[in-house]
Amino acid sequence: MHNIEAKERVSMQLHHDVTQHYFQEATLLQEREFNTWLETFVAKDIHYWMPVVERRYAKDKRPEPTIYDMAIYNDEYDDLEQRVNRLGTGTVWMENPASSVRYFIDHVEAFHTDNEDELLVTSNFLVFRHRGQLEHSEHVGGRRDVLRKVAGGYQLVRRKITLDARVTEDKNLYMFF
Amino acid sequence: MIDMDKLVDVEKSTQSKQVFWDQGVYDLELERIFGRCWLFLAHESQLEKPGDFFSTKMAEDNVIVTRHTDGSLKAFINSCTHRGNSVCTADSGNTRSFVCNYHGWVFGTDGALVDVPLKEKCYHDELDMSKLSLPSVRVESYRGFVFGCFDETAPSLEDFLGDWGWYLDTWMVGAGNGVELIGPPMKSILKCNWKVPTENFVGDGYHVGWTHASALEMLGGELGALAGNRANMPFDELGIQVTTRHGHGFGVIDHAGVGIHNKRDGYAKFLQDTLPEVAEKLGQPRADIYDGHWNCSTFPNCSFLYGTNIFKVWHPRGPHEIEVWSWVIVHKDMDDETKREIVKQAVRSFGTAGTLESDDGDNMVNSTQNNRGGHARDNNMDSRMGVGHEGPHPDYPGIVGSSFIGETSYRGFYRFYQEIMSAESWDAIRAKDDQWADCFPNKDYWKDRLAAKAKAGE
Repeated sequence: MHNIEAKERVSMQLHHDVTQHYFQEATLLQEREFNTWLETFVAKDIHYWMPVVERRYAKDKRPEPTIYDMAIYNDEYDDLEQRVNRLGTGTVWMENPASSVRYFIDHVEAFHTDNEDELLVTSNFLVFRHRGQLEHSEHVGGRRDVLRKVAGGYQLVRRKITLDARVTEDKNLYMFF
Repeated sequence: MIDMDKLVDVEKSTQSKQVFWDQGVYDLELERIFGRCWLFLAHESQLEKPGDFFSTKMAEDNVIVTRHTDGSLKAFINSCTHRGNSVCTADSGNTRSFVCNYHGWVFGTDGALVDVPLKEKCYHDELDMSKLSLPSVRVESYRGFVFGCFDETAPSLEDFLGDWGWYLDTWMVGAGNGVELIGPPMKSILKCNWKVPTENFVGDGYHVGWTHASALEMLGGELGALAGNRANMPFDELGIQVTTRHGHGFGVIDHAGVGIHNKRDGYAKFLQDTLPEVAEKLGQPRADIYDGHWNCSTFPNCSFLYGTNIFKVWHPRGPHEIEVWSWVIVHKDMDDETKREIVKQAVRSFGTAGTLESDDGDNMVNSTQNNRGGHARDNNMDSRMGVGHEGPHPDYPGIVGSSFIGETSYRGFYRFYQEIMSAESWDAIRAKDDQWADCFPNKDYWKDRLAAKAKAGE
């Protein structure tokens, strides 16, 4: 499902379009426009995935995690929708006052795929969350996305999020990556 | 000197806020609780083949648990007997030996020292390798759940669990071939005292409606009615709460087992199909709670939600921080699709990014960090809900509280916490085996209540 193969690199113009798309996406999330993000930036057939990756010895021959294994996010559209709806209930006590989340998306590499409407895009992220008086956390990792060309832009069809830390240094990861 | 009678008042159902903050209290906990009790290590399903290993922790000590070549389970401290480095740096795997990165000492899967570089030329063949095994840890298994204990004088794991094992058997034995844990565990840091999540899972049905209002509202369904405590519900008729010897305990919401799961058809059907088997094997009292939703803690730091099926260990890292490890419980006999959906749903609610986990974590940190102020710590915490509305039950062992919303099992947890922190030895604890429940004086609570109910039904 997430093993879409990368073909040739995209043109400079297309690369620019994709990075602008990511900046817009980050802006929406930073501004807590979760509904807009979901409705316009996320495809109905999304699979949004953050597998749990163990520290294993180099000689260990066990396969990489699949979507059937333990994952922190293993969401389809209705799962993401429920997460967004929860944030809109007004009873998420820890988000009142709201936390500040800021995104740094970098190292964007974009490729064509066998499907002419879809691009494979990998990127690095650095996400900071500040909350209350002194509370803060940071998360570093990579994303492997499939973006689909739609009227007026792109929609996210696949997102595999890999966190570099084995132990999450945060009380939760209830934010979008 | 720490005065445990001052820190925990069993009679008044209060605890000093110092128990969540003070370094001295924590140091004593490491010695008297984590140094004496059985601590969860792994599930046997993670250790099937000889050479399988899993790296874990017992409080702040790094421990390796293995399936040795002779088929037995072993556990030992992950610290080389030469200069103290760890001999295993992977989370899990299969190996013939553990080799220290520093000087290359080699240990077997039973922890025995099997090779030392240059032992002839530089140790002149004078090293007694038999005395240099990795320090071993007692290992015992209950229904496939593997625990370790540092204390040779502690009771067996089965005796340590006691009546709590009777309840666990409801689902660990009840259906088919029992249960297993699905990993690898999610791991995260929570800046809270280890007792905060343990007490929350052992018996806090009270917080569910308020803390989780947003998630319950979003989920809807049968538990949605709890959101914001708005519904008028007959709580005394909807479940019970139990505490047993050694501080273990749980609360059960009757027939609500799968309530948190969004997609649940396979799971609900499995419970329904296996219910008659549980009744036949274990009797009606346990069949009655088999399809309930349980919030549980095994003393001191292993908690789980049977029904939602998340399974957690809270590894302490000083008085103000823990590492949270989370697995998912599934019945071995379920089909793969049902198992996968349970993993997905359990993690969705109580994984690191879970819709309910996110509510709890913030409270747990706050309960701890708010005690930084010395004047705040001069005060007590209260756990009196349901005092007197609890006692021995004709069908259920331990002390049984009137409702799943109550603090019976908080009181049982802190009663034992005070006992083990004060006790000089396990012998001193064993000496009180017949008196532990004296602090729950209403011995006729259930007799009277059940009689009144029978009379009303006539």
